[in-house]
Amino acid sequence: MATSLPASEPLNAVQLDGLVVLKIIKHCRESYPNDVTGQLLGLDEKGTLEVTNCFPFPSDCDENASAQYQLDMMRCLRAVNVDNNTVGWYRSAHLGNFVDSNLIDTQYSYQKSLSAHSAVIIHDVSKSAAQGNLSLRAFRLTDAFMKQYESKKFTTESLAKAKLSFSTIFEELPIQVHNSHLVTLMLHNIEMPKLDASRLRSPATFAQHTELDDAKPLSPNFDVLDLELDPFMQKNLEYLLDCSDVQQQELNNYQYWQRSVAREQTKMQAWLTKRRQENQIRVEKGQQPLPEDEVNTLFKLPTEPSRLDNMILTAQMHNFTKQLNQFAGPSLARLYSIQELQK
Amino acid sequence: MVNDNTLFVSVGNSATAPHQRPFSCTISPVVLFAVLDHYLRRDNKQEKVIGALLGVRSPDGTEVEIRNTFSAIYTEEDAQIVLDKEHYNNMHDLHQRVNPEEQILGWYTTGPNLTPASAPLHTVFAQDTGNFRPIHVTFDTEQLLKSDDMGVQAYTSAPVGFSTKPGDCLYLPVPCDIKYVDAERSGLDMLASAKSTESRSVSLLSDMDHLEIAIGKLQEMLQRISEYVDSVVTGKEKPNNAIGRYIMDTVSVVPKVDSASFEKMFNSHLQDLLMVVYLANMTRTQLSVAERLNLLVSN
Repeated sequence: MATSLPASEPLNAVQLDGLVVLKIIKHCRESYPNDVTGQLLGLDEKGTLEVTNCFPFPSDCDENASAQYQLDMMRCLRAVNVDNNTVGWYRSAHLGNFVDSNLIDTQYSYQKSLSAHSAVIIHDVSKSAAQGNLSLRAFRLTDAFMKQYESKKFTTESLAKAKLSFSTIFEELPIQVHNSHLVTLMLHNIEMPKLDASRLRSPATFAQHTELDDAKPLSPNFDVLDLELDPFMQKNLEYLLDCSDVQQQELNNYQYWQRSVAREQTKMQAWLTKRRQENQIRVEKGQQPLPEDEVNTLFKLPTEPSRLDNMILTAQMHNFTKQLNQFAGPSLARLYSIQELQK
Repeated sequence: MVNDNTLFVSVGNSATAPHQRPFSCTISPVVLFAVLDHYLRRDNKQEKVIGALLGVRSPDGTEVEIRNTFSAIYTEEDAQIVLDKEHYNNMHDLHQRVNPEEQILGWYTTGPNLTPASAPLHTVFAQDTGNFRPIHVTFDTEQLLKSDDMGVQAYTSAPVGFSTKPGDCLYLPVPCDIKYVDAERSGLDMLASAKSTESRSVSLLSDMDHLEIAIGKLQEMLQRISEYVDSVVTGKEKPNNAIGRYIMDTVSVVPKVDSASFEKMFNSHLQDLLMVVYLANMTRTQLSVAERLNLLVSN
């Protein structure tokens, strides 16, 4: 694949076509408990990534088969004049649990091999269903993180030098949705049917379902006014706890490393003092002092474990807490409005 | 967009049995968007586009749900439309790999009417739909421009005449609905909000904004109803029993809970929520403190 060309302008927004939004939703919803991925096609223009089409990846295939699938699909789509340019990929998620090493690896390879402007779009299926509000976010890795990832060194020192921490791994891009003229026309035409008041039949019983109750497209969506708080919060808290457990293990590893380094160092010190004493005695006797540098070859400091996993976990936990916060705002508003309604 | 002309073919022999039963088909919004997009991107020389419809069928064949499409290329040779078979087969295979349960249900074309040229194409698609008749859907883009209607028409076919080719058939119009699921609905709402803006684009809303908009709409609806009721009471409008009944039903849905127990429920809910928020914020501050410390450590 071509090496990344120097970007002419920094990327600052992502624009999706209506078709892409619906296709992503459909694909993610259909394979609900599994996480699925797909490819985004479009153009990169003047600091905005325009995504005009997308296609899903089959979930059960390995490296070679999936590369072949991509090539075939692109060839077929080119024949019908779809933009043939890959600009990124998308992935489904549930309640925000998408920050993991898989994501970073794939995004890194996209940004390296395709262009510095590829983005990953995350669609959160359970959050969209819970709140009635579409959850789509676009991310790309920051340049500083890319450089660090190349060097594969994630010690505390190198991170501190590069001023990297979990919040600077990703940068989030604002998303806009765009419709073509034809589609806009069509949206105007899908409307609620106009009922003639004089011909309404009065409902015989309270529980009767008339044709009005069937969901018509574009009738106002009041799912967001649902009062049920618990399932969403429970799930979120569960995920957060799992994450902190794993984080604890990682920290334990790190502390173990620190302790073993301390042990090695004390051993080194003890050996050094012994050497010096020996040397003193030898000098008094008139013999050559033994070298002190052997200390470095005799004792090896264990290498520091990579802090990358740690960073990923903290980023994930940060995400969960942010979600809880964001969820709480509207819930409070809903509770208070119910109180008003009761008065 | 609901077409009410369900054609009931009268009792005949068993060869035409599937067509006697009322037949309905539903389309998902993705299909509409995909077809319009294909139409936009067609080559300049071609007036209309052709493609295949994928979806699921109920076991007895009476309910059909169209969930996905892919486009096909064709060339016109001597006023005959010839489909590019290789491209078609490729696309079909690729789609099968992602969604094995979606089968080919039929085909679509844009353009106002059925033409005689569509008969041989119908034969081609009939090969893939198994024992069932392929469904043919036309999207009339001219009608979209000129009128309020959707311009979507679905047809199924019934054999006519003596030949055994499935292409020689009578096209029966079939009622066709647009249905969608919850998650799609939020997406569709957001796309629809773009239809009134100048640049036809809109940015995604945060949850708070979404709530605000929904409450605004609710308030507006309540406003309209109360104005209507006021005008009926003062005699400006004639009362309509049916509307009155609906209003009464709606208002009685608000549950009547006595205030003490409501206070208790409200407070406990509130406390739960606030506690979770407090814990989440505490975790966040911990994480930020750890982040700062890590940055300071080496020096």
